[in-house]
Amino acid sequence: MDYSNATMYQNLYTFIINSPTLISLRVRDLMRSGVIKPSQKPIWFDVYDAFPPKKEPLYVKPHTRTTKKQDPVPEILYREDEIRAKFFEQYGTGYRSFLLHKPDFVSTCQRFVDKYMELKSRDELSEAALFEETGKALLAEGITLKRRGAPPVSAESRESRLTDVSAEQQVVGAGSEETTDATHTQ
Amino acid sequence: MEPYLYGCRLEQDIIDLDQTMEHLQLALNFTAHLAYRGGIILFVSRQRQFSQLVESTAQGCGEYAHTRYWQGGLLTNAPIQYGPGVRLPDLIVFLSTLNNVFQQHVAIRDAAKMNIPTIGVVDSNCNPSLLTYPVPGNDDTPIAMELYCHLFKMIINRAKDKRKRMELLPSAASLNTSELLKKKSE
Repeated sequence: MDYSNATMYQNLYTFIINSPTLISLRVRDLMRSGVIKPSQKPIWFDVYDAFPPKKEPLYVKPHTRTTKKQDPVPEILYREDEIRAKFFEQYGTGYRSFLLHKPDFVSTCQRFVDKYMELKSRDELSEAALFEETGKALLAEGITLKRRGAPPVSAESRESRLTDVSAEQQVVGAGSEETTDATHTQ
Repeated sequence: MEPYLYGCRLEQDIIDLDQTMEHLQLALNFTAHLAYRGGIILFVSRQRQFSQLVESTAQGCGEYAHTRYWQGGLLTNAPIQYGPGVRLPDLIVFLSTLNNVFQQHVAIRDAAKMNIPTIGVVDSNCNPSLLTYPVPGNDDTPIAMELYCHLFKMIINRAKDKRKRMELLPSAASLNTSELLKKKSE
């Protein structure tokens, strides 16, 4: 086989790189025009014709989005995610860490979710009621869920403005803390 | 990469493995046919943590690997860099399409210029458009890389063994290779 293909292609260099055609089309055209002799046919040509790829290998420029367009990749969300979000918001990260060295490990949150789905299939209660029922059920099984509490806002001392302002600041601080914590755990 | 992604879970892109399966089968089939026809296969990967693995894979199947810095004219300026009448690879397999600065490897563009088909493992941060047979998959974890290397090595070795057996058979001289391809595609 004559391996002067490299020199031959160098002569057609600028033409080749400027045209956005595929290697199969290019080689077929070169063979048809007689630049590539049938004896010099590339090994992959027949194989490519017999088993073409799923998508033609044409160069697609990755688009640089200047304006915020919708992300085409769908988010994978499950129904249990709502329960998980509420769990983390209310109870924080839980008292037990994730022991991932065990292959069949079930975390506190997962147990909560399983119990919630079980209770949901059995009874017809509202969401908040179901939430509390699951908490009680888990308590019965021996898992205590410590509520992530906001700092106390005393209703009695509303005489001076100073205490009022400090109470407001505390509530605001706890709210922002909770939201940042929720995003962090997710 | 968006058509190859199943979705996005907690801001991690999940690749659709059903599509990966089909693409991988196409790519391995192409490699097998090329190895059967005596083509030169070049493994390219610029990931330093897997350079030893890629080089040993290439050695194990009797093909070539390039896991070091890619000089600009290796494919496009080959007769001058290596000497006149050098034979270029007939297939380039990218086990990671990015180089060390997270840009697309120069060899992808150069192979398209020199009419060399390419197979590449494309991760969610890669551009699969210029590869002839892209394989969407993870290119970062050792287990994934070992799987790909093992598969390619096995396929190439099997194809070469088949070739040797076919050459030993007396009826091999009468069978045309294009006839073999037509039989397989049916």
